[in-house]
Amino acid sequence: MLSTLLTLLAQAGTAGTSFMGLGAGIGAGLAVIGAGIGIGGIGKAAGEGIARQPEASEDIRGNALILSALIEGVTLFAIVVALLLSLGAADFYVPK
Amino acid sequence: MLFASAGSATAIGSTSGGDAASISVSEGGETPSGAGIFRWLYEHVLPHKMASVGPLDFYNITMFQIIAIVLILVVFLHVRFALESGPEYKMGWIARVFSGFAMFIRDEMVIPLLGEEEGKKFLPYFLYLFFFIAFMNLLGLVPHGATATACVFVTGAMALVTLVMMIGGGMLEQGAAAFWKNLIPHGMPGWLVPVLFLVELIGLLVKPFALMIRLFANMLAGHLVVLSFMGLIFFFAEKIGRLAYAIAVPSVGLAIFIMIIEAFVALLQAYIFTYLSILFVGMCRHPEH
Repeated sequence: MLSTLLTLLAQAGTAGTSFMGLGAGIGAGLAVIGAGIGIGGIGKAAGEGIARQPEASEDIRGNALILSALIEGVTLFAIVVALLLSLGAADFYVPK
Repeated sequence: MLFASAGSATAIGSTSGGDAASISVSEGGETPSGAGIFRWLYEHVLPHKMASVGPLDFYNITMFQIIAIVLILVVFLHVRFALESGPEYKMGWIARVFSGFAMFIRDEMVIPLLGEEEGKKFLPYFLYLFFFIAFMNLLGLVPHGATATACVFVTGAMALVTLVMMIGGGMLEQGAAAFWKNLIPHGMPGWLVPVLFLVELIGLLVKPFALMIRLFANMLAGHLVVLSFMGLIFFFAEKIGRLAYAIAVPSVGLAIFIMIIEAFVALLQAYIFTYLSILFVGMCRHPEH
């Protein structure tokens, strides 16, 4: 499989096609995996905390929301890069 | 299959002639075919309509920023009138809601993080920050509204103001040279100091940068997802035929669901931006180490 992948990349390199769209899609998917793991961890801890102490559910919910938004911020950074790739921003780069 | 996707990526992503002006797809104004529909739709959220008024440029998002400021003025003049009318005045829902928001920012965000007298000094700036961002985000959700915060320069300007408040506030509080010296923790060996200074400087600059990217990307991503769902309708209608308009039902449903989430994210991102700004300004004025 690795050899087919390498021949594919070599043919693309000589033919001049760009894999920017593919890179954008793979990048966006990986970013969502990261966000899912991170926010899932927060959700697990929040669920455990609320189960142990239902009186603190308001505080836990507020904190969990804020922390999830912070993780989303980092994820969307990768999404912005993927977006730039898929909309052809790499064409602005002219290699010497 | 991979070659086909690479081929379409060539058609959409890169340009045929290699020129740099390839982001805009529709020159003639009619709907492009195929996957170009998505880029044509995304252009809708990009800032455009440059109308020059003298030496200043007037974009469509400039108009919405002015609308947001005018709305804030109108609402909060009413809130001030309602609060100054004494206890026998029955406050309408606008006065109650917005005075509730302002008191939340003062009592739960600014005063606990900055203390009493410093909190009162900085309170107007953080009130402005929260309400400006919230109004701009929410104005993007009404029909024909453009989200000014979906432009990286708008959020960059607000993050720049926060950076100036961080550095300026820190230098005014601790002294100009002491602020930069206090970036480094005490008691470090001599050879470590330049490396640590560089790391702390980068950390100082990265924090408002992350603020900018977070707000911009959250607002832009919401709109892009909604536009992508709508674009799917026309994309499939071209490929399959008029039967594909039946995909409009789940597409519009999903788009409505995403817009409900977007309304929540608009307020949440305004809160996060303001909360982190308060945290950073407090950290710069009173470093823990």
